[in-house]
Amino acid sequence: MNMEFVKRWILSGIFLFYTSLAFSQWLDINSISIQSVMTEEGGPVIEITYTLNDQNITQGNPAYVFIRFSRDNGQTWSLIDHAFLSEEGIGVIQSGGIKKILFWGTGEMAVKNPLFRIRGIRMAKIPGGEFIMKSFPAGGKDPSVSERPSNILPGFFMAINETTISMYVDFLNEMGKDGSGWNDRMVNEKRCGILQSGDEGNFQYTIIPGRENYPITYVSWYDARNFLNWCGLNLPSETMFEKAFVGGIYLDGDEKKSLSNTNPERKYPWGDEVPYQAGIYRCNYAGEEDGYPNLAPVGTFRKFSSPYGINDLAGNVAEWTLDWYSTTYHIGLDGFRMIRGGSWLAEPFACDAVSGATQFPIKESSIMGFRGILLK
Amino acid sequence: MGTLNRRQFIGTIGGAGAFSILSGKASKADEPKIKVGIMGLGGRGRFLTERFVQRPDIEITYLCDVNNRRYAYGREIVAEYQDSQPKLTQDFRDMLNDPDVDVIVNATPVHWHALSTIMACQSGKDVYVEKPLSVNPWEGLKMVEAARKYKRVVQVGCQTRSAPYVQKAMEYVQNGHLGAVHIASVYQVVDWKNNVHNAEEEPVPEGLDYDLWCGPAPKLPYRPGYWFRDKWDFNVGSIGGDIFHQVDLARYILDVSFPQSAFSSGGVYHFNDGREIPDTISTHFEYDKLIYKIEAAIWAANFKKIPTSVRDSDQFPDWEFTSTKIELYGTKGFLRLGRQGGGWQAFNEKGEIVAEEYGRQADNIHIANFIDCVRSRNLPNADIEEGRRTDLLLHLSNISARVGNKKLLYSPDSNNFKNLEEANNFLRRKDRAPWLIPDKV
Repeated sequence: MNMEFVKRWILSGIFLFYTSLAFSQWLDINSISIQSVMTEEGGPVIEITYTLNDQNITQGNPAYVFIRFSRDNGQTWSLIDHAFLSEEGIGVIQSGGIKKILFWGTGEMAVKNPLFRIRGIRMAKIPGGEFIMKSFPAGGKDPSVSERPSNILPGFFMAINETTISMYVDFLNEMGKDGSGWNDRMVNEKRCGILQSGDEGNFQYTIIPGRENYPITYVSWYDARNFLNWCGLNLPSETMFEKAFVGGIYLDGDEKKSLSNTNPERKYPWGDEVPYQAGIYRCNYAGEEDGYPNLAPVGTFRKFSSPYGINDLAGNVAEWTLDWYSTTYHIGLDGFRMIRGGSWLAEPFACDAVSGATQFPIKESSIMGFRGILLK
Repeated sequence: MGTLNRRQFIGTIGGAGAFSILSGKASKADEPKIKVGIMGLGGRGRFLTERFVQRPDIEITYLCDVNNRRYAYGREIVAEYQDSQPKLTQDFRDMLNDPDVDVIVNATPVHWHALSTIMACQSGKDVYVEKPLSVNPWEGLKMVEAARKYKRVVQVGCQTRSAPYVQKAMEYVQNGHLGAVHIASVYQVVDWKNNVHNAEEEPVPEGLDYDLWCGPAPKLPYRPGYWFRDKWDFNVGSIGGDIFHQVDLARYILDVSFPQSAFSSGGVYHFNDGREIPDTISTHFEYDKLIYKIEAAIWAANFKKIPTSVRDSDQFPDWEFTSTKIELYGTKGFLRLGRQGGGWQAFNEKGEIVAEEYGRQADNIHIANFIDCVRSRNLPNADIEEGRRTDLLLHLSNISARVGNKKLLYSPDSNNFKNLEEANNFLRRKDRAPWLIPDKV
């Protein structure tokens, strides 16, 4: 292939942007360089290289990397469809180091000097296969229907941590200029501590220092969905949430079946020990004795993560799922959605694998947040 | 009024919009706050918690649910609006014994409404109790007896009775604009085909005091879901549970109480899931020169309840396919009214609209009326006796179907059926000890 350098951009602003976010749950992505190269017959292509500065990224704990770009000098941003991208640096990344992406959508952007933002989220791999579901999911139907969804799921990836305040503020600063995605409860410094400034159409958002690494709360189901669409992710179904919580029959999946789950019917992500046993606190539940009267930074209780290494499924914030809930009186009208997991206001035992609740999708609560998943 | 965006909509149902309405008749600054215990933290209980706690004259001092997995969601609501933390309990008797509670908000399943309301009255608490009131006519009678004996304010949660648009409809009809109304049709025709109840028995989940949940009803093996809504010992059925509102509104607008007779046709036509209470029913109540009809089914394609976007706006519902409407046929005109803020329109003999009123939901007004009455000791808009009379119509409808679709003559003086002894077997349930409703409250 006859390659030709046409142009090279070093986006120093973006570089600084990412170094500041590494602390707050976006993965540490830096040394970004972007250059336009001419292919032999396919026209120009943008080659993006970056360094995923994290040696803990593995096949079992990969990164999910997505790119958003702006063609109007940062006024508006769009997610780049993975169909326009190639090479190993996009989507699920299984090791750290220098990565490359080829962006083939250059034809329409060649004259515009596009800006790019690359973000990464630490994920856990949940292999496909059977697991024992104990709760009674209500996905799209009455909870008393005897048929349960299959306990065999295809493989998927789930964010290791709940979505943080700083991640959400990053989203707001791109997409919330008109105020969408934000509500004035988010100012509450014991919950979010997100401040809005500027005028409508040009709102900007900052975080009260120290709140960056706490889970985002006061987000409706729609807010959660909008954030995840922005990333290219989705909410987990109830079934996915519970499998991530308890683990499959085989932790390496039904294809391999070489690593048995020692306790596939565990009550909590870490096993059957209650959250407060013998002076050990395993998650953030109601009260102060666990050290956190309100929210805790995500991953605080990572020693007590799920069999796949996923943090805070039991406590801290309950989490939105994709699933509908329908009851006798509300079918098709109110659009209840299911919440799963315990929270910082839940009784300790109510942080177990079957805990859940129904909520209006417009509900913005201090005990409810979310995290993303990606189907394989 | 244009279409609400989602965040404006939140304001109308739970945020600042609700607060401004609640503040309209706020108490004097020197009056102590009314202390409220919430009984039941399911969907309706949480809804009421959010409405009560936003009032500046209220303090939530207790949250109670037999399932303490539900505490977190109730606590979260309270924490948003008040600094003090409510006590938590699974056993409602803790609230009844606590002088730090003035009012019980009773959002339990129907099989608990009567006994817990009676016990609350006996303990000197005022009660806001959700509809339907009771599992059988006798329970309703005892609720009224308790309220009167202990001089308690008991408001029933049929909130649309407090809606200004309904009051105007009542005045319009009572002023004779429709002429003589000889037929009233009350509808509950909905598409709830997913409402099936065939879940298998399961171990009782940790955190749920299932024995206490069953209370006066039989202690059947635990099953998840809402199967109990269509069992005679637990409820008045999926139809009765919702049509209560329309039945109450029509009774209010027409100013009628006890019918001379009740005659139902119906049964379990569509579902095959072990339910006992009809999924299809048509009842004719005869009053003096008035046929008051119920037409109800829970499997009907096409029909929907009034959308939330219509309920609080200057719009009328799609009347033809509206599930929850009332039609009044008069000698001079016709009126149709929608529940849940659906509004009403009246037509003259030429079919022209001659009067109409947009509707709004009335939860906040209804609660405000209750709190006003707690302070004034007046009877509230939906006093327990009014609720009991509406409840009775549901029981008459069901009992007529239960005895094989026979016409029943009910005596409000002797509180029994005059023409069919078999029907009297259904006036009262045998309660499960120790949760017995006493003969003398």
